[in-house]
Amino acid sequence: MLEISDLRVSYPATEGRVEVVHGVDLRLERGSRVALVGESGSGKSVTARAVLQLDQDAAYSGSIRLDGEELLGMSARRIRSIRGFKVGLVFQDPLTSLNPVMRVGWQIMQPLVIRGVDKKEARRRGVELLERLGVAEAGVRFDDYPHQFSGGMRQRVVIAIAVIAEPELLIADEPTTALDVRVQAQVLELLRDIAEERGLSVLLITHDLGIVAGFAEHVVVMRNGLVVERNDVDTLYASPSHPYTRGLLRAVPKIDGDPAQRLLSVDEIAEETQ
Amino acid sequence: MSLKIALRRPPKRRRSPLAERIALVVIALLVLLAVFGPSFAPYDPLKVDLALALLPPSPDHWFGTDMNGRDVFSRTLAGAQITLSATAFVLVVTLIIGVTVGTAAALGNRVVDEILMRITDVGLALPSIILALGFAVALGPGLLSAIIAVAATWWPGYARLVRSVVREVRHADYVEAATALGVSRWRLVRKHILPNSLDAIYVQVTLDVASVMLVISGLSFIGAGAQVPSPEWGAMIAGAAGNVTNGWWSLFFPGLAMMITAMAFNLAGDWVRVRRDPTLRDGIAR
Amino acid sequence: MTVLAVERLTKQFAGRDSPAVNAVSFEVQTGATVGIVGESGSGKSTLARCVAGLIRADSGSVRLNGVEVVGASPREKRIFRRDMQMVFQDPFASLSPRMTVEELVGEGILVHGLEKNSTKRRDLVVSTLEKVGLSAEHLKRYPRSFSGGQRQRIAIARAIAVRPMLLICDEPVSSLDVSVQAQVLNLLRDLHRDLDLSILFIAHDLAVVKYLCESVVVMSDGVAVEYGSREQIFDDPQHAYTQSLLRAVPVPDPSIERARRAARQQ
Repeated sequence: MLEISDLRVSYPATEGRVEVVHGVDLRLERGSRVALVGESGSGKSVTARAVLQLDQDAAYSGSIRLDGEELLGMSARRIRSIRGFKVGLVFQDPLTSLNPVMRVGWQIMQPLVIRGVDKKEARRRGVELLERLGVAEAGVRFDDYPHQFSGGMRQRVVIAIAVIAEPELLIADEPTTALDVRVQAQVLELLRDIAEERGLSVLLITHDLGIVAGFAEHVVVMRNGLVVERNDVDTLYASPSHPYTRGLLRAVPKIDGDPAQRLLSVDEIAEETQ
Repeated sequence: MSLKIALRRPPKRRRSPLAERIALVVIALLVLLAVFGPSFAPYDPLKVDLALALLPPSPDHWFGTDMNGRDVFSRTLAGAQITLSATAFVLVVTLIIGVTVGTAAALGNRVVDEILMRITDVGLALPSIILALGFAVALGPGLLSAIIAVAATWWPGYARLVRSVVREVRHADYVEAATALGVSRWRLVRKHILPNSLDAIYVQVTLDVASVMLVISGLSFIGAGAQVPSPEWGAMIAGAAGNVTNGWWSLFFPGLAMMITAMAFNLAGDWVRVRRDPTLRDGIAR
Repeated sequence: MTVLAVERLTKQFAGRDSPAVNAVSFEVQTGATVGIVGESGSGKSTLARCVAGLIRADSGSVRLNGVEVVGASPREKRIFRRDMQMVFQDPFASLSPRMTVEELVGEGILVHGLEKNSTKRRDLVVSTLEKVGLSAEHLKRYPRSFSGGQRQRIAIARAIAVRPMLLICDEPVSSLDVSVQAQVLNLLRDLHRDLDLSILFIAHDLAVVKYLCESVVVMSDGVAVEYGSREQIFDDPQHAYTQSLLRAVPVPDPSIERARRAARQQ
């Protein structure tokens, strides 16, 4: 349902422009969960943000098709109508993605209200969703402000805002990086449940190979603006083909690993294969 | 890493580097003039010769003569020394007092901070002109009164600025790291806190050269500072005020000199600011 | 021999309901690696700073080689700081931007009077840099021209240059990329082995702690809820909090994760 072909993204820099994504291809089937994995500077966030053209200064070339419709070159109005409606967004820092001076409930209702849904109905659906996402006393908390919520709760609010208008695709950019490990587990579980319930396709952007193993069906590994490997999750973890992927997997400390086994950095893997 | 560098935003307005270079050349020239200028003066800046009064600019007198027959060019050169050294003196004194007070307030305990800041507030409340007139009455009018008055009213601004910057720097990670290393308090201030705080000061000083110069000259103009026949630029303009129609050059050239000096330092200040760190707080133009 | 003995250390900040660090006790033996693990707000960072003498503890005792840290005067603190060094989380903020690598790494040596001759001091700096995988060519450069991982190495070099007995690391790899993290962790392991360095390692990532630390203190809300060897904590956790923490840590293995999820759903 989402097809990215030969995407190139460049930004203005101190001299001219610099290209940060050099021709990326990505396919997301309907209802599947794909993880886009990479370290900082890999271009994974830039690629995801390109779908809805969230960065003003970015220049795009290539093609991004959502359900057959070409997104690059689309008018700003059209893109805005897609955001929240066909595509929901969940970002890393709930502190900055929620408006601190607006009540949480109001922010959750927005995607519906601007599409003409009756306020009472929007509120009803919002409270229901918040409850489903595990917020106790959702009816009361609906009228609280963001600062009255903990990090994990705020992230649930962000998820509610993202899915309330029943989008078909959810793009989550490092949604749990700022959260404690137990809350992270809960939020990821929730995300997965909601996605399964509603038949949502999910594009998860992350650097954490642990959460990818428990969440994604397919994995795309990026490095320095290019895709270096893509595979289904089992194959990728069991027998990674690209040295970089192998390096990443060997560099991650595992909770069930043997401490005597030395972690290998990516460079050491590269030396091995030379 | 290279990606991050490449993505740093370019400065919004790209001023032509030519302007900065000219500014720096002008400043260098001014400094040279201030130090050596008077030795190059073709005539004695103070010698009165009424026979030569109010001559327009000519090859003999590049800037003409004023109503007392004194060569305006020579006077302007001499004035450069006076005006610029007075300005420099004020700024140096201001800096020493302001940085000391500001740093002490930022690093000391609450009592020290309160006391120093209240003193600073008093200083800020005094208008330099009134104070200058006061000193003029007490010490007799002259450049010295003007200098003391301006310095006395100027240092609180720096104290405030330094205090706020040092307060922030004091809590920086690298200061904590140096403390953990075992660095003594004195060295902490000298090598870690001050060098990282003074950036804001550099900018402010360059911008203030123009302001201070104008205040000193302004005081001279109203008679509370340098007195006629001193070739201080403000005093020159004051003395020539009556000659607008029949001797415009005796007003124009000192005024032009002041304007060029002010512009050169402002441009240089801007350049220092952009070059140092784009995220620096803007200097407060007074 | 016990390098560090912490006993009932307590610290409560003004205006808060409960102590940030609540009567925490543990020990670090010579050449041991002890990890302090907890979520945000558990008090682990405050604990580290109290131990290092950067924050004044309310009560309790911290003995570094038998010398009491709590309540020490600034002069006394400077003396024992030679034996106890710290590496901080943010590699971009913990190095003074206006000092060169040579000045930074040499500062401890200078301040503690370990080598007064500047040429010999430079040699010491170079050999320390080489221990962390850097070299003499980096001497005159400023921190801003280095990557996060390299800056952390500079910070580590700075800390070990004075040959401390104890190295306190406060989340030193949390802001680094996975592959760089591995390098820095291996570096710490190597230094621990080669210099017989005791390490107190504060982190929120349990897998990292398991890799590096032989003993672990688990903290929650200021309290040390469990304290034991690596095997005890990870293979046989006793406290409910520890168990819930371990349950939540993701494993980079899809089949294991699937099994865990299935088990959860029953």
